[in-house]
Amino acid sequence: MSDNPILSVRDVRKTYGGVEVLKGVSFDLERGQSKIVIGPSGTGKSTLLRCINLLSPPDSGNVVLDGVTVEERGINQIRAQIGFVFQEFNLFTHLRVLDNVRLAQRNVLGRSKQEATRRAMEELERVGLSDKLEAYPAELSGGQKQRASIARALAMDPKLILFDEPTSALDPELTGEVVQVMKDLANAGMTMLVVSHEMGFARAAADEVIFMEGGVIVEQGPPSTLFTCPEHARTSQFLRMISHEHQEA
Amino acid sequence: MVFDTLVAEFPFLLRGLWIGIQLLAALLALGFVLGITLAVMSVYGHWSLRLFAVVFERIFRGIPEIVLLLLFFYGIGELLPLSPFVAAVLALGLRSTAYQAQIFRGSIQSVAGGEVMAARALGMSRLGAIWHIVLPQALRRSIGPWTNEYSAELKATSLAYVIGVVELTRQASYIVSNLQGNTLTVFAVVAAMYFVVNRLGNAGLYALERRLTIPGFEGRGAES
Repeated sequence: MSDNPILSVRDVRKTYGGVEVLKGVSFDLERGQSKIVIGPSGTGKSTLLRCINLLSPPDSGNVVLDGVTVEERGINQIRAQIGFVFQEFNLFTHLRVLDNVRLAQRNVLGRSKQEATRRAMEELERVGLSDKLEAYPAELSGGQKQRASIARALAMDPKLILFDEPTSALDPELTGEVVQVMKDLANAGMTMLVVSHEMGFARAAADEVIFMEGGVIVEQGPPSTLFTCPEHARTSQFLRMISHEHQEA
Repeated sequence: MVFDTLVAEFPFLLRGLWIGIQLLAALLALGFVLGITLAVMSVYGHWSLRLFAVVFERIFRGIPEIVLLLLFFYGIGELLPLSPFVAAVLALGLRSTAYQAQIFRGSIQSVAGGEVMAARALGMSRLGAIWHIVLPQALRRSIGPWTNEYSAELKATSLAYVIGVVELTRQASYIVSNLQGNTLTVFAVVAAMYFVVNRLGNAGLYALERRLTIPGFEGRGAES
């Protein structure tokens, strides 16, 4: 661990309706690093992401982004520095793709229309949607929607991007295009924290894998070690289970 | 002979209709602005604001239009003299506020919560998300139910004659008393005038709805 991680999560706890979903989670994310969080469903992975940008504020513990503690005060300026990609895309239904990517740049960052348009076009080109600027979300395929939402996050020039199961709502034949965009981003040095079971992404682009279960981090390590010789029996059990699923699919 | 008189009196009917349309526009505008405010308060507000919204809606939806008109003109008019027109705008406009708030609240609640969350995750404020994400979608979905409100309020403007607003119905009753009868003919013309304005307004609103339909979404136009 370096002295200056871009994101530092310390002992984060969160209880929902009497159930402790996160039971003290701590980890660091270095600049340019991409980590993938895996684990059975209901383990608190998505909750962990939402605790980081306070979409769902933690009950205790703290989150430090680039040396600044994330708290309710000034949260909008902090959120603008943390990209968030949702499982369900959550594009703005009534806005064309270009405006989806421009809106927060103008509204939050106060960029001029020209500047916002320029950045939007750059990021839409990066995700391969230059020909869809004028399309409405309902006119896009699932994969295109998710790529547009990635462009929307990227155009804010975030310090890191959180991905919450970005391919889980997609048909299997559409996951590839989204995974490819994410791999390219990781290779280009974007800092990423990804909740996903995409082993393709994990193997090819993740610097580290975090295995979570029951609200705690069971173990973490580089994919090469964690996938081949995990320390904990639960980890190998889980890995066997998802590799079976993938073979069946 | 009655037709000659009708032709001669028609400008008065038109003048009455114009007053009625002005009343309609003013009360709908008041109800629109306050109705959206009330709807946003009742969906996103502190519990005290939500309570205020509920009480306001209950009161203004629970009192007959005529009683509200009399209450505002003669009741409040005693403390603060109001012209009949202003009293009618307030009485009918506040009542319309209650009904429009119901329409907007329903359509606000139908906007996907995930989009608001995405806006907040991008750093937009709560109000910014409501303004840029929720309202543009909610207002589109409100047009259909709003046509009802337009029709109901157009007809309600005729009640303003009880406090002396010289709108279409009032003009008609003047003419009837001048003509000594011919009630059927005069009110048939008046009925046709209300009908035409009602149809034109509704046609305009449906055209607006079609124009604002988001491509790729099932709208009224997509059925054909």
